[in-house]
Amino acid sequence: MALIDQIREEVIKVPLEGRNKPEILRELVQVLVDAGDLTDGDSAYRALLEREGRGSTGLEKGIAVPHAKTAAVDKLTVAIGIAPGGIDFDAQDGNPSDLFFLLLAAPDQSGPHIEALSEIARLTRSDAFCRALRNSQSASEVIELIQE
Amino acid sequence: MAGPIERVLVLVDGTEESITAAQYAILLAGASGAELFGAYVINTRALNELLKSRIFVEAEEQEYEQDLHSDAERYLKHVGDLAESKGVPIKTLTASGSVHQEVVKMVREHGIDLLVIGELAHAKSRRDEFYNESERAMRSVGCSVLIVKDQERVWDLFEYGFKE
Repeated sequence: MALIDQIREEVIKVPLEGRNKPEILRELVQVLVDAGDLTDGDSAYRALLEREGRGSTGLEKGIAVPHAKTAAVDKLTVAIGIAPGGIDFDAQDGNPSDLFFLLLAAPDQSGPHIEALSEIARLTRSDAFCRALRNSQSASEVIELIQE
Repeated sequence: MAGPIERVLVLVDGTEESITAAQYAILLAGASGAELFGAYVINTRALNELLKSRIFVEAEEQEYEQDLHSDAERYLKHVGDLAESKGVPIKTLTASGSVHQEVVKMVREHGIDLLVIGELAHAKSRRDEFYNESERAMRSVGCSVLIVKDQERVWDLFEYGFKE
């Protein structure tokens, strides 16, 4: 299952408005609720916070990949958000995070979850891709970039 | 029975497409008398990459690896049950590592002459085309490869048998 299969305009938010980790997580969860991909937003939010408690998913170079297994979804669910200027997400390099890939997976679907996370890891290894993503002004531009 | 197909390997990865491929492989082995193998590869290479890129913490990587072991057991048992329902013997194989490399190894070690895989998703991006593990296995193995399509027809064949 490719990441692109899960991405559509409704699950992308540009720009994100949250100014800290809890607000960003809430905002992305709400994106999924509004898109009809999630009904129990509170459970999903709690699962994400719990995962963050084990170590921040804020990586390097502005990238964050918050993810969790939760019974609130029955299939792999993805949201993407861009926060121009970045916010403090406890990133491993101490820099602000501005590119967010949020993934939720059902507890019995570790395979697709791992596949999608690997795909994000590969995509974000490209500085050119990240630079282009930062310059995206709309959800359709983000989709276009991932499809390239 | 000596014939063009003597040993069939079907790759199971938990997707619906791979289960359909397993059903087709069971029917094929039943009709041809070929020896049937069902394989699941635990993608520890992806787990290592996620740990290295720090998307996973160590405890999380171990937890997911355990999940994948359980998946392998569950899906291979399911395929075993399907084969048994048709009276077709099946040997199941589990490996850990890079999926396509492990499949190549299994094909070589077991003298497989036909690899059966599920339908590949339509490549919507060049990256997807490049990284799909089933597709990489298909390109890498030395034997012939059968891609099973038309899930509905395969289900009908499996449930109701061949029409005269």
